[in-house]
Amino acid sequence: MLRGLNQERIVFTIAVVLFVLFSVLLPGFLSAGNLLSLIQNVSILGILGVAMAIAIIGRGIDLSILSTMPVSAAWLLTLVNGGMPIGLAFVCALGFVIAVGIINGTLIAYVEIPAIFATLAMGIVVYGFGKAFMTPIDAVYTGRGESWFYAIGSGRVLGIPSPVIVFALVAAAAFLFLRTLKPGRFIYGMGDNPLAARVTGIPVRPMIILQYVIISIIALIAGIVMATALAGINTRLALSTMVYDVILVVVLGGIGLAGGKGGIRNVVVGTLLIGILLNGMTIMNLTYTVQSILKSVILLLAIVADTLLNPRDEQTAQHGDI
Amino acid sequence: MNALIEMRQVTKAYRGVPAVTKVDFVLREGEIHALLGENGAGKSTLTKMMCGVTLPTSGEMFLSGAPFRFETPAEALENGIAMVFQETSLVPSMTVAQNLYLGDERLFNRIRGLNIAAQTFLQSLNFNVNPTALVSALGAAHKQMVEIARAVRKKVRVIIFDEPTAALTPEEKHHFFALVRRLKQSGVSIIFISHALEEALAIADRITVLRDGEIVASDDAGAFDRDRIIRAMVGRSLSGSLYRREAGQAARPVGEKVLSVQNVSMGSIVRNTSFSIYSGQVTGMFGLIGSGRTEAAKIIAGVAKRNFFNGGEVRLHDRSVRYRVPRQAVADGIVYVTEDRKLEGFFETMTIPENLYMGALAAGTAGGMLVDMAEMRAIAAEWTRTLNVRAINPNARVIELSGGNQQKVVIAKSLVQKPKIIIFDEPTRGVDVGAIAEIHQFINGLADQGLAVVVISSYLPEIMNLSDRILVCRSGRVVEEFGPDEATEEKIMYAAVH
Repeated sequence: MLRGLNQERIVFTIAVVLFVLFSVLLPGFLSAGNLLSLIQNVSILGILGVAMAIAIIGRGIDLSILSTMPVSAAWLLTLVNGGMPIGLAFVCALGFVIAVGIINGTLIAYVEIPAIFATLAMGIVVYGFGKAFMTPIDAVYTGRGESWFYAIGSGRVLGIPSPVIVFALVAAAAFLFLRTLKPGRFIYGMGDNPLAARVTGIPVRPMIILQYVIISIIALIAGIVMATALAGINTRLALSTMVYDVILVVVLGGIGLAGGKGGIRNVVVGTLLIGILLNGMTIMNLTYTVQSILKSVILLLAIVADTLLNPRDEQTAQHGDI
Repeated sequence: MNALIEMRQVTKAYRGVPAVTKVDFVLREGEIHALLGENGAGKSTLTKMMCGVTLPTSGEMFLSGAPFRFETPAEALENGIAMVFQETSLVPSMTVAQNLYLGDERLFNRIRGLNIAAQTFLQSLNFNVNPTALVSALGAAHKQMVEIARAVRKKVRVIIFDEPTAALTPEEKHHFFALVRRLKQSGVSIIFISHALEEALAIADRITVLRDGEIVASDDAGAFDRDRIIRAMVGRSLSGSLYRREAGQAARPVGEKVLSVQNVSMGSIVRNTSFSIYSGQVTGMFGLIGSGRTEAAKIIAGVAKRNFFNGGEVRLHDRSVRYRVPRQAVADGIVYVTEDRKLEGFFETMTIPENLYMGALAAGTAGGMLVDMAEMRAIAAEWTRTLNVRAINPNARVIELSGGNQQKVVIAKSLVQKPKIIIFDEPTRGVDVGAIAEIHQFINGLADQGLAVVVISSYLPEIMNLSDRILVCRSGRVVEEFGPDEATEEKIMYAAVH
């Protein structure tokens, strides 16, 4: 009975409990307007969470997405503001993020730098490069452009804010990719046991490159959503601690940092909990510091609960040399 | 002479599988005692119980007549028992002197004082090692010296050496033996685990031979000769028990030569080895640990990284192949079934069907870009039946299975890739007896189907039972090849030991 209680379910339960508590205790929480803004606010976090999940499931991590996202989106806006057609600007930005993904993947797969260091360094490179050559000013605002483009972040479909729809689409696409496509299965295999994946004949290194290219593309999507939702984007976001929030969402949902475990569902659950929590705390008018403390305590609790309920198998970890 | 360590009816079982069974062992004061036996005979386990690495499952142990039971190596060391492992336990980034005094530092240490003390101490042992040198810069022999010096400094009464000479040059061995004799003169008792029979005969006062976890012979060294030791290790008399397949089957005829290895070298592990593999038969590769047999197989299958592959040629049919990654070998129909299934065999969070399907996807023998669940279930059903994988739940995760079933899953994962050449590295390690018979039968079936099968094993009966041809490896190369009519266990053992 207790064995079935994994971290995903624990977090989901906490989310439901918090939802009920807030609905009863906080006036205005249950209104349709608030619920929509709740999801809308965490959509970008969720989209980035999907990207991070793909990295972590494959036993990697990508700390550079928080640079790739604002820099690529800001460059896109800069190009559009300079008079380039949106389609062409998008292709340029896409080319840029693909290049970032390929460099990340090459450093990790072929040069064999641990993902955490490769992407940490690449994040700084991307931010610096962007500032020097692509968008000299920190904050780029949307100016000229067609209304459909702005609708990506600020429109509504059937009353649902478009960032939520983009999150749903990205999550669904990632879900299908990981579940039903061959490269998706390979990413699980690499995350579960990289050596076994290699011996089995999985093209591990090309798959790592593919993985980081996909992650970078999702980062660009998140950047476009953010830029069009807020009518601009600030590249200084790369210097913020948002990357930890993204990791929090993923780990909180129950995707083990050791790789091979969990899926997109976990990201959705993690995003839900963080969304409910942040929204509730905002309504309660808690300070940012208190919010941070609560967030981290909940993360620790979820991890501790998971460790207690699903202990590592000690027997199989032993290598008895007879 | 008095008994320093005495073990009575000691048994140690790992997860119910006995590694040593009801062993009576006596180490006398001031003697050099050699422990001999095949890989897996229980030599390491026996000594690990003395020095606190593992605890016996049952039985009693006495140190100078008082019963003991050490929970940790540190506790054993306090009581004067030290073990020098094959892989040294030194900290490579520290100097010799720092390593010598590791764990005994005072709050404030004067480096110069430490170096002087170490220098004096090393000289008293007649060791020519610079105390300020970094351990990582030392050769194998010097590392061993530091390790020994550390044990001596703790004023131990017993030093256990696990394969101390494996990494040494003849010159260094000479020094090592001189040292061991000096230690003996100073009253230290020594246990010496080895594969090198001549060394044991030359240096030991007494010799104990283990086989399958039991002591089969224990006597003064003078009462042994090479033949008697090998007879004891192998377990049969030298009555010329010729190589014979079970159930009177004749060896399979030699098929087409599918793969040949010519003068391949890799670092100091594989040295200029050459051999060939034929279809439709089982080629057995026997060798003790460190003989380079696994590494040679890994070169063939592309598992070894090319950086280490220096020289030689592997020919598949008439084509020279040099695989950088296993994927290329798999595409050419060569698969390698690993000796360490947990490390590089299966995907532990995945179910049996997912594991098998991963093999098929990687080799392109099933599925296109999309995962086909029906196909996955069909493959799983077919192979779990063929290999008789017994799981309570067909969708059980592989980590939950027994060793035998895990091994079957790993084998099946390779076979769904439809190989032409399959290399089994220790196919029955950590596998229960029932599954061993099944796996052997299955391996024979593969050769009957015309596959080129290679079985690497350090367990002689397994090699004898399965092989149509036997290659014996020693010091990184194939040194001898036996046909079905000429191989005896004794001949193979002679070829394999130093």
